[in-house]
Amino acid sequence: MLALRDLQAALAGIVRGEDQPRLEAAVIGDAITAAARLRIYRHHIEQSLTTALAATFSTVQAIVGEDFFRAMARRYVAGDLPCQPVLAEYGAGFPAFIAGYEPATSLPYLADVARLDWALNFAFHSPAANHLTPADLSSLPAERVAELPLALAPGTAVLRSSYPIDRIWRVSQPGAADETVDLGVGGVSLLVLRREDDAAFVGLSEAEEAFLSAVERGETLEGAAEVGFQTGGAFDLSTTFARLLALKAIAATQHHFVERVEKAL
Amino acid sequence: MNTTRIAIASALAAALALPATVQAQGNMEKCYGVAKAGKNDCQTAKSSCAGTSKTDHQNDAWISVPKGTCDKIVGGKLTAG
Repeated sequence: MLALRDLQAALAGIVRGEDQPRLEAAVIGDAITAAARLRIYRHHIEQSLTTALAATFSTVQAIVGEDFFRAMARRYVAGDLPCQPVLAEYGAGFPAFIAGYEPATSLPYLADVARLDWALNFAFHSPAANHLTPADLSSLPAERVAELPLALAPGTAVLRSSYPIDRIWRVSQPGAADETVDLGVGGVSLLVLRREDDAAFVGLSEAEEAFLSAVERGETLEGAAEVGFQTGGAFDLSTTFARLLALKAIAATQHHFVERVEKAL
Repeated sequence: MNTTRIAIASALAAALALPATVQAQGNMEKCYGVAKAGKNDCQTAKSSCAGTSKTDHQNDAWISVPKGTCDKIVGGKLTAG
């Protein structure tokens, strides 16, 4: 008789494709052998998790086709079983797995497309939260706003790829026009955003990406602006800032915190 | 006042002048939508049945070849093996 903890660990081993003779011995077999019964568990879990991955990484599946995707996802599942119960939160390690998955080495952009799929999934499932608005800013003098630590709104992510993953994403959607993407057009920077009942992405210039990456690190508006100016490219802070506010890309929490502190003083 | 502070002051002035209803400009790709919201549901009867196979999958990682939109991506060549 196995202790519950050992029984569970052995069943996880079965799911990973291991032989677990002690568990087999503990399972009663009749018309269906114990080993066959345990394989049913393995396949059911494998099926559920690969289906969840296919839903989250739908662009990756569109690129490689269902058979290839399922083979790749099964291999991933065996090495990275979920640590929590929400299927939509499963697969954080899949992009990195794809980067090292030898049968996919002929598709060097695939891991970055997976990162985009994951960021969109994360944005979609992020909670609604307050974002920085022009009205918030009007309550503070400009010098104070310049010193505010900024943060990206929940679900917002900056993504940089050496491949045109925005175009690859577009031609891989259901019903996409039958056009080709030339990898030679080069890389892209994207901002992934939470929308009402949706997720979306927009393209970023090099300076905008530098500015937002600084915001992501918790820089102040002044610090992030300086990073933007240092990129050397044309950086129009007014246009960028107005665009980001309109996109609801900047979190409001820091500002509200400061405002509360100031009111309390 | 340094140039960054001047740029910030003018950016803030521009932001405050934005109409409240201003819409995000730019080419935004709409992606997800509510259709995916329910994917944490239990498996459907069909895929549940598909998962109850008693025989193992072949280790088909190496015999499987990408067969999707990758053929639209020039330079993303296919490897047969």
